[in-house]
Amino acid sequence: MAGIVEKWKKFREPGYPGKFDYHWGMVIDLDRCSGCEACVVACQAENNLPIVGEKQFALNREIKWIRIERYWQGEYPDAKVTFMPMLCQQCDQAPCEMACPVFATYHNQDGLNTQIYNRCIGTRTCAVYCPYEVRYFNWYTFKWDEPLEQQLNPDVSVREKGVMEKCTFCIQRIRQAKDHAKDRGGDQRVRDGEISPACVQACPTEAIVFGDFNDPDSAVSKAAEDKRNYRVLEKLNTTPSIVYLSKVEQHG
Amino acid sequence: MSVSVLAALRTFKKHALIVLAVIVGFTVGHLVNANFYSDDAPVQPIEFSHRIHAAENEIPCMHCHVHAATSINAGVPSVNKCMNCHRAMPGVWESPEILKVRGYWERSEPIPWVKVYDLPDFVYFPHKRHIQAEVECQSCHGDVQEMDRVEKVSPLKMQWCLDCHKTREVENGRDCWTCHK
Ligand code: HEC
Ligand code: HEC
Ligand code: HEC
Ligand code: HEC
Ligand code: HEC
Repeated sequence: MAGIVEKWKKFREPGYPGKFDYHWGMVIDLDRCSGCEACVVACQAENNLPIVGEKQFALNREIKWIRIERYWQGEYPDAKVTFMPMLCQQCDQAPCEMACPVFATYHNQDGLNTQIYNRCIGTRTCAVYCPYEVRYFNWYTFKWDEPLEQQLNPDVSVREKGVMEKCTFCIQRIRQAKDHAKDRGGDQRVRDGEISPACVQACPTEAIVFGDFNDPDSAVSKAAEDKRNYRVLEKLNTTPSIVYLSKVEQHG
Repeated sequence: MSVSVLAALRTFKKHALIVLAVIVGFTVGHLVNANFYSDDAPVQPIEFSHRIHAAENEIPCMHCHVHAATSINAGVPSVNKCMNCHRAMPGVWESPEILKVRGYWERSEPIPWVKVYDLPDFVYFPHKRHIQAEVECQSCHGDVQEMDRVEKVSPLKMQWCLDCHKTREVENGRDCWTCHK
């Protein structure tokens, strides 16, 4: 117990991600997002997300690790819409981690905010603490009708009733890339561009860039330097790992 | 007047019989279970002996479990692999166990081996990382080469993994997501 608390404290120091091997992050360009939801579908397939059905959906119990939020400006017919993909921000100072009574959600050595399904007892406190509302609770043990169960991803656990879940940045792909890097030998480090989470891979407009923020030369670090950059709910001091690039407004 | 224990017991004859029956039943049941239905040393469809192959004939583990050093799974050899050797061994060609192997070969069926070591699906266990770090097969699977039937010798509990990762100082070896998925 004391060990965990010590470890946990270490993560609370400002600027700690610099101490880690990798700091996985994303840059999402809202000007490129067309709201097509290809990312949503890709995520659903990759991460064994259940289809909750109409009734549960109406009760706001859908499970979507990435969703497209729509923001309207103006009145019809002069309305403008901005699409915003919203997923777990992998905060460095994650409020959800403070909330969990059993340490089922914690920070790993890559600066990822992770969830251990086995450990989770379903208090749902983390979901309440999360300002981005990107944590989802399994109200049931969902079934995959035949032949859908054939497409379940064996590298991702199928979650049961009573377990909280959320975006993992496709940690199974990160794990695989790190494994390949070990096989390759040398410095045993993952190279830039070797990992693309399902949503990044699926995006037709390449609106999302994924990579290591600890590497100043990575595509993601470069993209984050754009003048339009901002982080969602920055004032809450959660220091998210996802940088958004705001939509370019056209006037006249 | 002498008190005979036997005489005293005679009144409980029926009970004694029941107790005896229960004891015998449990012992027999236990033996049957351990020998034929055990989870730790399940009966295999073919009496394949690691002692004969790996010890007496000194066939290296990796000759059959070819993927151990390069993949997540060690893998169990195909019928083809058995036949490659056994076709060339007239000495045991007609033995009843080899006849069974030949049966699977002729029907083009895989041998339905029963899994001995089986982790839950939520665990990620890569053989290759361990073999490449020169962890001996025997440190996890015991002296397989002495076994006529493979027996599970490790608990496969989380604590067991963690203990070794701790003593071996495996990098990130105790991080939950190293093993969980
Ligand atoms: C001639 C081929 C062959 C060789 C050589 C061989 N094995 Fe096997 N092994 C098999 C077959 C076939 C099975 C599946 C049947 C069984 O479980 O007995 C098996 C099963 C196993 C299992 C149990 C797998 C499970 O969970 O069901 C282990 C562990 C194992 N072998 C380890 C070893 C080790 C260690 C060596 C080297 C000392 C070795 N084997 C050498 C063919 C071989
Ligand atoms: C590398 C060569 C090789 C491979 C591969 C191999 N064996 Fe053998 N096997 C032998 C040798 C050598 C013997 C000992 C024969 C003897 O005692 O004369 C033997 C003996 C046996 C016996 C005992 C036969 C008896 O009645 O005495 C069985 C059963 C057997 N093997 C099954 C298998 C199965 C099943 C496979 C495939 C998983 C397999 N073997 C793969 C070399 C091999
Ligand atoms: C660090 C411990 C460890 C070492 C070292 C190890 N194994 Fe395993 N082995 C396991 C575990 C755990 C499983 C169960 C895997 C599962 O169910 O996913 C297993 C499963 C197996 C199986 C069953 C088939 C499979 O791939 O799941 C075989 C065969 C096997 N091991 C052979 C070997 C051989 C041969 C070696 C040495 C080259 C070896 N193992 C080294 C822990 C180990
Ligand atoms: C006998 C010792 C031993 C046991 C038992 C053992 N491991 Fe390991 N494990 C190691 C060693 C040594 C390494 C380091 C490999 C390396 O440095 O690349 C390792 C590495 C790993 C890795 C890869 C870590 C990485 O960063 O790539 C995983 C995953 C792993 N073990 C899972 C398990 C699981 C799950 C179990 C229990 C079922 C287990 N291990 C049992 C010795 C062991
Ligand atoms: C070295 C590999 C390894 C690491 C690291 C690891 N686990 Fe496990 N864990 C396992 C294995 C293997 C099992 C399955 C065997 C068992 O039930 O003990 C397991 C089972 C569990 C279970 C029981 C699941 C059930 O339903 O029975 C829980 C809870 C759990 N782990 C939580 C954690 C947490 C929390 C962490 C991080 C602090 C962690 N584990 C780190 C290997 C690991």
